[in-house]
Amino acid sequence: MSLFWRIFSLNAAVLTVAALVLLFAPVTVSATARLAEALIILAGTAVTLVANAVMLRVGLSPLARLTRVMTTIDLLRPGTRLVARGQGEIAQLITAFNAMLDRLETERASSAGRALSAQEAERHRIAQELHDEIGQTLTAVLLDLKRVAKASPDPVRDQLLQVQESTRNSLDEIRRIARRLRPGVLDELGLASALRALAGEFTTAGLAVRRQVHSDLPVLPKEVELVLYRVAQESLTNAARHSAAQHVDLVLSEQNDGGVRLCVRDDGRGLRGAPEGAGIRGMRERALLIGADLSVESGVTGGTSVQLSVPA
Amino acid sequence: MIRILLADDHALVRRGVRLILDSEPDLEVIGEAADGSEALALAAADPPDLAVLDIAMPRMTGLQAARELSRSHPDLRILILTMYDNEQFFFEALRVGAAGYVLKSAADRDLVEACHAAMRDEPFLYPGAETALIREYLERARTGADIPDRAVTEREEEVLKLVAEGHSTKDIAELLYISVKTVERHRSNILAKLGLKDRQELTRYAIRAGLIEP
Repeated sequence: MSLFWRIFSLNAAVLTVAALVLLFAPVTVSATARLAEALIILAGTAVTLVANAVMLRVGLSPLARLTRVMTTIDLLRPGTRLVARGQGEIAQLITAFNAMLDRLETERASSAGRALSAQEAERHRIAQELHDEIGQTLTAVLLDLKRVAKASPDPVRDQLLQVQESTRNSLDEIRRIARRLRPGVLDELGLASALRALAGEFTTAGLAVRRQVHSDLPVLPKEVELVLYRVAQESLTNAARHSAAQHVDLVLSEQNDGGVRLCVRDDGRGLRGAPEGAGIRGMRERALLIGADLSVESGVTGGTSVQLSVPA
Repeated sequence: MIRILLADDHALVRRGVRLILDSEPDLEVIGEAADGSEALALAAADPPDLAVLDIAMPRMTGLQAARELSRSHPDLRILILTMYDNEQFFFEALRVGAAGYVLKSAADRDLVEACHAAMRDEPFLYPGAETALIREYLERARTGADIPDRAVTEREEEVLKLVAEGHSTKDIAELLYISVKTVERHRSNILAKLGLKDRQELTRYAIRAGLIEP
C-alpha cells in the first residue's frame, strides 16, 4: 500500500470511529452546549488526535530511521546500510537509498583513487626530474668547482670553496625535497627496506621507533605497498608531531588469511577526543583504494594505535 | 696505478668525475659506461681494479651491475656513487658486494678518499649508515643480544649515544666541548672497535642485526 493510502486510511479509520461514536452513542448536544457536553466532545477530539498521532508515528518510523542514517553517514567508512523493512513505498525508498549509497561510495572511492594516483604520479615525475636533471647538473658543477679551486690562486680559492659549500647545500636540499616527494627506496628496494628507512628517519633523541617487519611477507602489488608506506609515514608524522610519545612500535606482519597488517602504536597522549583531521581522512581514503580496513584508536591509558588490515 | 671503470648515465657527471680522478697521481679512468650493462661489457673486455657505479641508470641499475661484477670479477673493488642518501641503499650496496658508498653531494670531498679506502678493502661508510649501525648496536647492547665485545671507553660511549641520536660531528663537538677532529677520531676508533672497519665483518654484522637480508 502506498504511503498516501496508508495515511489516508489511518485518518479515515479514526474519523469513522469518531463519527460512529457520535451517531450511535446515547448522547445529544444541546443547541448551546452545556459544560459536560463540551468536555466530552473535547476529550473525544483529544483521544482522536492521540490515536492519529500514534498511528502516524508507527507508520512513518522507517522514515525517521532513514533520516538518522542520512544525517550521520560517512562515505569514508563504507558499509553502513539499512535493512529494507516497512511496507511498500518505504521499503522501496530504503532500497533506493542503499543503492544510492553504493553508487556514491564507488564513485567517491574511484574519484579519490584517480586524484591520489594523479598526485603520486606527479610527485614521482617531479622527484625524478629533480634527481636526474638538476641533481646531476649540480653534481657536475660541484666536481668542476673542486678542480677549478685546485688550480686557482689562494684568495680566489677561498671564495670558490664557499661556492662549493653552497652548491653542496642546495644539492642536499634538492635530495631532501625529492625524497619527501617520493621515496626512491620504495621503488628500488621494496617495502621492508622503505619501512626500515622510515623508522630511522623518525628516530630522534626524544622518540625511539622500534620496527618489526616480518621477513616472510607475501609479495604485494606496488599500489598496496605505496598505501602501506604512506599510512606508516602519516602515523609516524602524527606520533612525532602531536603525541609527545617516547616510543613508537611499527609492525608489519602477515595475517591468517594471507593478507598483511600494519600496526603503528605509540605511548603518547592519545587522541583525547580530537576530531579526525585531514591526515587521518587521507589515510582512510588511501585504505579505501585497496579495500583495506583502517582503524584509529586511543587506549584508556593514552597512546594511539593505527591499524591497517589489507585482505589477501 | 689504480685502473678505474666509471658508470653513470649523465655525461656531465662522468666528465667531472673523470677529471677529478685523473688529476690524482695514482688513479686512472680507463673506461666510461652510460649504464650497467655497458659497464659489464667493458669490465669483461678489459678488467679494471675499481668500478665506480651510479645507482639510478637505465637498462641495468648500478646495484644489479655490482652484483654481476662481484660474481664475475671477485677481485674487483666496487664503489657506489649516488644521489640517494638512504642507509638502506648503503646496506643493499654492501650486500651486492660494494666496498663503499659516496653521496654525489660529497663527491668533491670524499670520492678520492673512498677510492683509496676501497683498494685497501676498507668499507667507506656513508654517514647515515654509520648512524643506523650505531643505533642498532646500542639497541642490541640494551637488549643483551650478541655484539662484538670490545671495550669502549666512557667518552666513546658518550659519542656513540650522540651519533645514534642523529647529531652531526659538529654538534657533538659543541656538546662535549671538544674539537671536531677529536670527535672524528673517537668515531673512527669506535667503528674499528665495533668491527665496522672491515668489509666482511661489517656485512656479517648488518645481516645479523637484520639490517639486510642474507
